[in-house]
Amino acid sequence: MTEKIGVYVCHCGSNIAGVVTVAEVSQWAGEELASEGVVISRDYKFMCSSLGQELIQKDIQEMGLTRVVVAACSPHLHEATFRTACKNAGLNPYLCELVSIREQDSWVHTDKEAATQKAKAIISGGVARVAHHESLEPLRVPIHPDTLVVGGGIAGIQAALEIADAGFHVYLVEKEPSIGGHMAQFDKTFPTLDCSACILTPKMVQVGSHPNITLLTWSEVTKVDGYVGSFAVTINKKARYVNTDTCTGCGICWEKCPKKVRDEVFEVGLGNRKAVYTPFPQAVPKYPVIDAPNCTYFIKGTCKACEKFCPTGAINFEQKDEEITIPVGNIILATGYDLFDAKRIPQYGYGRLENVFTSLEFERLSNAAGPTGGNIVLRDGKTVPKAVAIVHCVGSRDQNYNPYCSSICCMQSLKFAHLVHERTGAEVYNFYIDIRTPSKGYEEFYNRLLEEGTNFVRGKVAEISSVARVPEEQGKLVIQVEDTLIGKQRRIPVDMVILSTGIQARHDAKEVAKMFGISCSADNWYIERHPKLDPIATMTDGIYIAGCVQGPKDIPASVAQGAAAAARVLGKIQQKEISLEPVRATVNQEQCSGCRICNDLCPFNAILFHEETMVSEVNPALCQGCGTCVAGCPAGAISGTGFSNDQILSQINGLLLLRITDQEYA
Amino acid sequence: MAVEYPFSKVIGDMMYASHQNPITDCLQCGTCSGTCPAIEYMDFSPRKIIGMIRANLKEDVLSSNTYWSCASCYHCTVRCPAGIDIAEMMYALKRYSMWKSQFKEGLIGPDFSESFVKMIVNSGRSYEPILAATYLPKYSASAIVQEALTASGLVFSGKMNLFPKKIKRIKNLQNVVRRILPLGETS
Repeated sequence: MTEKIGVYVCHCGSNIAGVVTVAEVSQWAGEELASEGVVISRDYKFMCSSLGQELIQKDIQEMGLTRVVVAACSPHLHEATFRTACKNAGLNPYLCELVSIREQDSWVHTDKEAATQKAKAIISGGVARVAHHESLEPLRVPIHPDTLVVGGGIAGIQAALEIADAGFHVYLVEKEPSIGGHMAQFDKTFPTLDCSACILTPKMVQVGSHPNITLLTWSEVTKVDGYVGSFAVTINKKARYVNTDTCTGCGICWEKCPKKVRDEVFEVGLGNRKAVYTPFPQAVPKYPVIDAPNCTYFIKGTCKACEKFCPTGAINFEQKDEEITIPVGNIILATGYDLFDAKRIPQYGYGRLENVFTSLEFERLSNAAGPTGGNIVLRDGKTVPKAVAIVHCVGSRDQNYNPYCSSICCMQSLKFAHLVHERTGAEVYNFYIDIRTPSKGYEEFYNRLLEEGTNFVRGKVAEISSVARVPEEQGKLVIQVEDTLIGKQRRIPVDMVILSTGIQARHDAKEVAKMFGISCSADNWYIERHPKLDPIATMTDGIYIAGCVQGPKDIPASVAQGAAAAARVLGKIQQKEISLEPVRATVNQEQCSGCRICNDLCPFNAILFHEETMVSEVNPALCQGCGTCVAGCPAGAISGTGFSNDQILSQINGLLLLRITDQEYA
Repeated sequence: MAVEYPFSKVIGDMMYASHQNPITDCLQCGTCSGTCPAIEYMDFSPRKIIGMIRANLKEDVLSSNTYWSCASCYHCTVRCPAGIDIAEMMYALKRYSMWKSQFKEGLIGPDFSESFVKMIVNSGRSYEPILAATYLPKYSASAIVQEALTASGLVFSGKMNLFPKKIKRIKNLQNVVRRILPLGETS
């Protein structure tokens, strides 16, 4: 053996030493594995401490170790620590192997004797493997300074502004005609009851006029190529039929347009707009779009009223969709959420019983700029309700629909109760399972509502019906519920019901995730790199998430996450280039038969196929070193750096060697 | 030595066949009680019964009439947000109380259930006059007369047969039932 290998066994306090006899293992490795090249074997209480690391560094420098095996926790935790320690001592970091005798041994066994033997086997495998390691250098990739932000809600707006203010260019893509997202539809925001539009529109205006922001509304991303630092993103700019260079946003076109269309998006079906429209008066950008499927000209071939009256001649019926491709270095996804479809719960009668409203419908109803001018009235447009029921947890915390808590509905329901109380003086009933008010100022808001005299009934509503059993229920909506705190079934007649509908992932979340090469949870929320320590990045380098796309959250949390994502992107941009793990797969082009099996297996779309030479090649910047293609290649033509056949087979041999010697001992 | 399992675990185990979530998942939201059409006949609501089982209040649970009043409409099971098969839990309680002979004296529930099962096994059909007979001793004289009048009215108008009709191939049904119940002894 030409390699000089050092073995370091960690006690991890009592985490390992409580089950594995560490000193015995260390001594055994020094003696029995000397034939494998082990020249020194030590144990230490906490190998990851600076003293433990110094121990390794000293040995590397004084004894001239060429390989290091650390037997401690999972590589997830401290591989980087020990590799850095080796690097600082002048040893290539990839010549250090971390084997787990904690997660794979002491934590999962109780038999001390057997666990100690297993630790020896694991170390033996590591020693055999490390001899086949090669020195590797990290790949360096330049970072393009431009950033793409997808989604123009409050999270996307915040992220775009932070990056643009720092002096870097941002493309903000929004599929609706205006940015603003759901927040633009709200009237008040909890718990301070700030006017939503008053705090949002200044930010929207900033986005619209910022020199560093290219705003692409009425546009959708259709294709994403490349990798961290150099993505190429294809965006479809849908035809607006309005020339934005000449349009002044004067509004004459939508005044003159004869075609009324029910606004199913911004007004959630409660109001009308024209066929040429901006969703709301403060829309950014100010330019309208023509809704071609509903436009009389596109249907019948005549009308063109907007074109006739436009003072600047900005209407252009000949416009076509336009595809552009932009280079960006980082991407922030802030595509938001969909409202739970309340029609899925038949016993709540939404869509069947006239005066049952969803939360978003009520937001529009209570909004001063909404279809009723802020008057809270029944579906007939004039009757003011005398009793209102607010039903919590609609579609949330329910195994039949969404099992998770939508987190915003409690506060939203309290806000609704306050608004109803304030504007109509009606009796308000809130039906809840648990009241969850866990943020700053939220519990105080709940107390305020209690003081206002809102009726809180603890119980999930069983049924909402219009069938009266007694004269008092005649013509009313009857809430049937068990008041669980008094243990009685109650029937409460009301005039209006607001379903506090939960939020769920965008209907197309899965397809979008696939396009960007990231993964979704079972509920289709996008998965963060770490639920606690990195809730902003994804497993794909260079792609970040902000706002409800990661999971239900309120406005303050969305803004915080948007800003956090921007900070992460700015950090990447400032580095100018980043180094990537050199653990990558490579294709031996001599052996490749061109079967293309690996092309489809790769979860990162990192393998490209050369049609001329009929062989596959791995793009090292995209490859994450997962090894799927290595295992899948029928010709054995692909090998993973750091996971070569030599390394894996010798590790297995190392593990088995002990079993044989053990039998001899027995 | 036999291990004494807590009541909540025994009932939980007896619900195994329902293949749904355990009663420990209950949120105490009251959907079941709010939904229940028979709640006015129950001394404890279904939600309370779940809470009482979880608290191992065995005597109180077994002496209640709740699970005998359950009409097995399964509406609670369909709506339960925690995915608990509450109707199946009611059956588990019925089975347990009959197994241990621990139901409240004077309840008509057990008699009713038994005569119902016997009737189905013997004729393959539900026949009200026989079921009503189970209740008759509990009724007041005027109620019996009222029931009899209604029944004879139905018979005369041809809505109901005087004698129960058996289904065809009743033996086949009995063979099916025999797979789960020891029929020879009961019918």
